[in-house]
Amino acid sequence: MSAEQSTPEPTTTYEQAREELADVVRRLEAGGLTLEESLGLWERGEELAQLCQHWLDRARERLAAAAPADDAGRN
Amino acid sequence: MRTVARKVADWIGRLGEVWVEGQVAQLSRRGGAATVFLTLRDPAADMSVPVTCHRDVADRPGLELTEGARVIVRARPDYYVARGSFSLRATEIRAVGLGELLARIERIRQLLAAEGLFDPARKRPLPFAPAVVGVITGRDSAAERDVLVTARRRWPAVRFEMHNCAVQGPTAAASVIDGLRRLDADPAVQVIVVARGGGSVEDLLPFSDEGLVRAIAACRTPVVTAVGHETDTTLVDHVADVRAATPTDAAHRIVPEIGEQRGLVEGLRARARQVLTGRLDQQVRWLDSMRTRPVLASPDRLLHGREEDVLGLRTRARRTLVHRVEGAERDLEHARARVAALSPAATLERGYAVVQRTDGSLVRDPAALADAERLQVRVAGGRFPVRVERTATGKDENP
Repeated sequence: MSAEQSTPEPTTTYEQAREELADVVRRLEAGGLTLEESLGLWERGEELAQLCQHWLDRARERLAAAAPADDAGRN
Repeated sequence: MRTVARKVADWIGRLGEVWVEGQVAQLSRRGGAATVFLTLRDPAADMSVPVTCHRDVADRPGLELTEGARVIVRARPDYYVARGSFSLRATEIRAVGLGELLARIERIRQLLAAEGLFDPARKRPLPFAPAVVGVITGRDSAAERDVLVTARRRWPAVRFEMHNCAVQGPTAAASVIDGLRRLDADPAVQVIVVARGGGSVEDLLPFSDEGLVRAIAACRTPVVTAVGHETDTTLVDHVADVRAATPTDAAHRIVPEIGEQRGLVEGLRARARQVLTGRLDQQVRWLDSMRTRPVLASPDRLLHGREEDVLGLRTRARRTLVHRVEGAERDLEHARARVAALSPAATLERGYAVVQRTDGSLVRDPAALADAERLQVRVAGGRFPVRVERTATGKDENP
């Protein structure tokens, strides 16, 4: 399910993952899906959420690398 | 030769008297000598002529005869045959009055303004942080110190290309022009500062020299002037790309202040970081809000709902079944009751009897009976056989 353990940077951009996650949530909340469809969507949602988290974590790392002293008092 | 000399002397002697205006370039008086020698030069051209006069002429009260002074001289051309030298023999020397000088400056100003030399559109912008600054100023002057020290303090990396020269007197204008041409031609020099301290109107006159003003106008490098005190205005101030009130002010204009610049850069860096961390925080918050939505966070709700559905349906099914069974049971009860109601046993219990023939058929009509016919009687308690016995009359009794 998680696509980015030891692989190089995932090809889906943050924005793509984000858009798809929003869509997954919309469809789940709209309802009317079969059990199988709901489970499938939910799994995809988890995957996307992990992807988004990965990008955000990387972004934080890069900011911290640019000016570690500044970051100390920020978070 | 003497013939020629004398003829020339005659000829020159016939030229008569002239009024000549010029600037005193050199003045030579020896002790108690009767004759004063001076050189009169044209302020705008590179020409001069020796002038002689009696010391009374030079010492006339009210006349400040000094080097650099502008004077009007009444003189006769003179050719000294013994040496073959030309000079002007002055009988009167007057200073060009201050008022006259200022009026002349005003006329020049109007002329140059009309030519458009002072037009704001001509003013060049100064470079932001020049690597090399050209400075024209008096050697070791306060103005020089002010410019250099202040500029270095503000922007330590600045370097200077110096041109020290006279900044008053008859040679000042030409010297400054030389400096301008040299520094303007130097490609490394990005801005030129012309600075001198305060002084009298006469001291500042070179900076209203028409030639100097035109030279500044012709400069491709931006020129900053800082001449005299704040209240002094010389013509160069009009034509300069930037007019500074003092040499220190000039230093403020030509280089930025390093602390201030650092502060600006830090400020911009901080803003950039803020934008980025703000965006990041915003995205993180969004992601959290997505993740905490029930559809993602509690997927077992999916199942819950369905499990409940199934449970509900099972319960309903069961209930329906039970209902139907109970209904069937009730029906059965009713049927049984009706059967029971219809059953002859109850009638028998009430004391009635059922009479049957031997073939099982029921006796309803006594007329149908034969005498001595065997019949069966059933009562509540059981059966017993009977025989029809009629009485002698042969009439049946009806209850």
